[in-house]
Order: sequence, then C-alpha cells, then structure tokens
Amino acid sequence: MDDFFKLDGITVQFGGLVAVHRFSLHLEEGERVGLIGPNGAGKTTVFNIVSGFLTPGSGKVYWKGNDITGRPVHEITRLGIARTFQNIRLFPDMTVLENVMVSFHHKLRSHFWQAVFGLPSYRREESLLKSEAMTYLEELGLSHLSAERAGSLPYGQQRRLEIARALAIRPGLLLLDEPVAGMNPSETLETAQLILDLQRKYPLTVFLIEHDMKFVMQLCERIKVLDYGHTIAEGTPAEIQQDPLVLKAYLGGACVC
Amino acid sequence: MDRDRLKIFLNGVTVVAVFLVLFAFSRYGTDYQVRILNNMAIFITLAVSYNLVNGYCGILHLGPNAFVAIGAYTSALLTMTPAEKQMNFIIQPIVWPLNVIEVPFVLSLLAAGLTATLFAFLISFPVFRVRGDYLAIVTLGFGEVVRVLCNALQNVTNGPLGLKGLSPCTNLWWTWGVAVLSIAVISRLIHSSYGRALKAIREDETAARAMGVDPFQHLLLAFLISAFFSGVAGGLLAHLITTISPTLFTFLLTFNLLIMIVVGGLGSTTGAVIGAMLFAWGGEALRIVEKPMDLGFVIIPGIPGMRMVIFSLLLMLVILFARRGIMGRSELNWEVILTRLDRLRRP
Repeated sequence: MDDFFKLDGITVQFGGLVAVHRFSLHLEEGERVGLIGPNGAGKTTVFNIVSGFLTPGSGKVYWKGNDITGRPVHEITRLGIARTFQNIRLFPDMTVLENVMVSFHHKLRSHFWQAVFGLPSYRREESLLKSEAMTYLEELGLSHLSAERAGSLPYGQQRRLEIARALAIRPGLLLLDEPVAGMNPSETLETAQLILDLQRKYPLTVFLIEHDMKFVMQLCERIKVLDYGHTIAEGTPAEIQQDPLVLKAYLGGACVC
Repeated sequence: MDRDRLKIFLNGVTVVAVFLVLFAFSRYGTDYQVRILNNMAIFITLAVSYNLVNGYCGILHLGPNAFVAIGAYTSALLTMTPAEKQMNFIIQPIVWPLNVIEVPFVLSLLAAGLTATLFAFLISFPVFRVRGDYLAIVTLGFGEVVRVLCNALQNVTNGPLGLKGLSPCTNLWWTWGVAVLSIAVISRLIHSSYGRALKAIREDETAARAMGVDPFQHLLLAFLISAFFSGVAGGLLAHLITTISPTLFTFLLTFNLLIMIVVGGLGSTTGAVIGAMLFAWGGEALRIVEKPMDLGFVIIPGIPGMRMVIFSLLLMLVILFARRGIMGRSELNWEVILTRLDRLRRP
C-alpha cells in the first residue's frame, strides 16, 4: 500500500450515540479536501481520530502505508500530521515567537542537561530554532509581533498564529478545523489565498472543516458531507451543490449560493 | 562585550557579592542571624524546586514534604556513626546494611537527592495518569504515606522517636551553595526549549500534545529535578537542626512552601526566592509584635501567637493587591534590568 493517507471504515461510539459510522476517506498528496455537515454531524470527531486524540471503536488509520491507529497524539504529530483547533488553542501567556518554537521542540537533539549547562551545541540549535520560527512568522505576516503575548493578539491574527504553529511542524497533512470561523468576508478571502500560497511553497495536503460554504466551495477540490455520523455525499463542489440529499439534510432544501 | 557575556559576568558578580555578604555574616554575625540565613537558603532551594512543578508545569503537586522527608532521613542515616545509631535505636535495632554504613556529608547529600528522585520516579506513573484536583489528592496521599512509613518503620527510621544527635555539618556555604545551584539549574532549564515545552503544557496541554510535545516525558523531567533538589534540601535541613522526627514532615511543610510560591508568584523563580526569603525572615522579624509594648500612654502586654495573626493579615493583603503574587510570572534578572536601562538611555 502506498497510499498517502487513508481512513478505513472508522466507527466511533460515545455510549449509545454513534458519532461517526463507517467513515472512509482517501487523500492524495497535494489535495485540498473539505468536510462539511450540520452541527453535531461528527466532523470534529473525524479530526480527533486523524490527529490521535480519539481511538476509533473500529476501523483503521493509515499514513503513508503504515497503520497509525491508536498511536499517541505527539507521535502522530511527529509523523507529519498537524492540526489547528476549532476554538483557538494557543499558549496565551507565551510570546508569539515562543508559540511557534514549541513546534520545533520535538526535533531538538540536545538533552536537557546540555540545555542546562548551555553547551555550544545546544546554543547553536536554539538560535537555529529561533531563526526558523521567524521565517514561519514572516510567511504569515506576524514577524513584527514576535515579542507580543499570544493571548493579546486580535482574533484574526491568533488564527494565523495557529496556522504558523501547525506549519512549523512541517506537516505533510494539515488539518484545519474551521479556519475562517468568525472572520469577515475579506479576512476569509485572505485566508483562502494564504492556504493556496502555502500549498505552492510547501508540499502540503489540506483537509479542512468549515461552515462557510463559499469558502469551502471555492477552495476545496473534493468535499465530503457528513450527517449524523453517516457520509451522505462525496464529490466535487459542483456535484455537492446539486446533491438532493445534501440539500435536504444540510441546507433544509434551500439553494447553496 | 556583547550582551550574553555581560549577563554571565553580572551573574558572576552577583554570586560573588552574595558570598561576600555571607562571609561577613559568618565572621561577625550572631548565631541567630546565621541560623535565619541558613533557613532562608534551604527554603529558597525548596521553594524554587517546588515552583518548577507547580508554577511552570501548572501541576498542583502537594507532596514535596515526602521528598524532603526522604532526603532528610537518607542523609541522616548515612552520616550517623554506627555507635550513634546504636544509641538512637533503642526499641528495635537498625537493619543491615544501614547499621554499618557511614559516609561523608557530601555523599550523603547526593544520596538524599538521588533517593528522593527514585521515589519521585516510582510515584510518577500513577501521579501523571491524572490531572488537576485528582493529581493534587494523589500527591497529597503519597506525602502522607511517606510520613506514616517514617512513623511505622521502627527499624529503619526509628519511628516516632526520630533521629537525634546528628553532626551539625550544615553551614552557610552548603546551604547557599545548594540554593545558588538550584536557582541556576532551574532557571537555565526554564529558559531553554525544555522550559518552553513545560510552559506549553501548563498553558494548554491538548495543544502542546498536538505540537508534538510528550507531556509525560516533560512533566517527569521537571518532577525528578524538583525531587532531587528537595531531597538535598532535606539532607541540609536534617544536619542543620540535628534532630529529625516524622512530625517535621507533615502537610504543614508543603503548605508553607505553597504559601511561599503563591506569595512570590507562581511561575516565577525570582518570586519563589522572594517568597522564601520573606517567609524565613518575616517569621522572625514579626516576633516584635509578641513583646510587651510601651506606647507611652498605654502598655500592651505581649500576646503569644500575635505573630501568626499579623502574618495571615499580610498574606491577605498581598493576595488582595497582587493577585498573582509579588512577581506574577515575570522575572527579575539581568536581561530585564539591562533592557530597562537601554530604554532609559534612549527614550
């Protein structure tokens, strides 16, 4: 199997509630795939399975041909799957720069005692981390804020910082959980442009959840629709917009745009 | 001279200045003053290492008294001569090999730190399976377990009788040397990438995991370093007061440490140092209020216990006016001072 990423027949139950039922997904390298569905459809549950926060009751997760089902979150991240969160989860009391530098910590070669004694090898690594973190901040236009407290940034910039932090993992697969929630139309447009730019610069596959239909339809090449844990439709944006099941379940019979 | 070199130089100067002051006290100070300074240094070591876990990792750990107890007993049992041990253990003779071992003070301190670290390692597996209030209760439980064991293991710890007549090896150089070492090690750790990972776990553990930080590994690191210094401080304490018994290591000790780091500022090493100094010195300075006072028109007789009333009032004032402690989460180091000076020079 040389699949890039695959979810195979994932089922998750919380007590008697089936949150996700036999969900399967196949991602090709470099794709942009969207996951939509009404509130409570199980979208974030799917994300939590991909990033390792939840272990599915049945089904398997494959990353580059290897079974990674049930591996701890930090190991999955180190394999190259990074995520952002629906409700922003920065490290509020740390600076913007430190937030990004945390993402590099798992790559650190020096042991803690090398850091404590301030050995040259550690100091070299530390200054390398700092300059690398700065390049990611520049990429997202946050470099002038590097010394600010992350918690004091305005909302839009906090979202950007979360993306910068996930990007610093140098992921092959980037999971974005509602990246434009609470943004105005121009900010939304900027974010879409940003994601396209990043994909041009880095080998990045994007899998995202979003309620903003215009954003999803414009950005994603493929869309999956969940409702009550069941996949009800899958296809290109144009196909999804015509799908009667989607119109019924998700949009209550109204037209998409 | 660049900034880094300047800071190292200034830190060196500070340490030399501290030791000059200590030298002056050891030469011309009274026994009482020297005793307070010794207490202060031991409290600083304990508070700074406790703050590493409670302040920087954001873990409410309530069992440092266990580490101090283990350190104190380990080091005491190792420095006592076989003859002294025989005199102490009158109810049950002490077990082999403790009855024949006698090592120098410095080795006993090292052993105290390592034994406490080993204990911390063993309890870390159940402790870090839980978080928040549950973790507090688990650690509180382990603290009590150690105290009860000290009471019950008659042939190891001499039970409630305790150990008496330890040689007073602890002096200003030992206590302050260990205090400076613990501050140096812990602040270096905090300002490294490892410190950032610890703070990330404190701020948001879920996000830290998603950024590839293994919480168990990092919390364990902090916990073990903290236990090591607490154990060494326990050894120093034992050889300062020369008599130890299980009643010395109750939850009250943990509680006092908690007061120090909360007043100083959770998550600030400077704060922990200030808290410990205020606690050690303040407790003695407030003795004036218990003396009879002649205000000219009225004579107030000395009220025993008045000290504690004033002390708690002061604590309340600190928490009212500085909700996050005296220092909050900020530090006072040469970097901060130099930055301020630069700003003053170029307004």
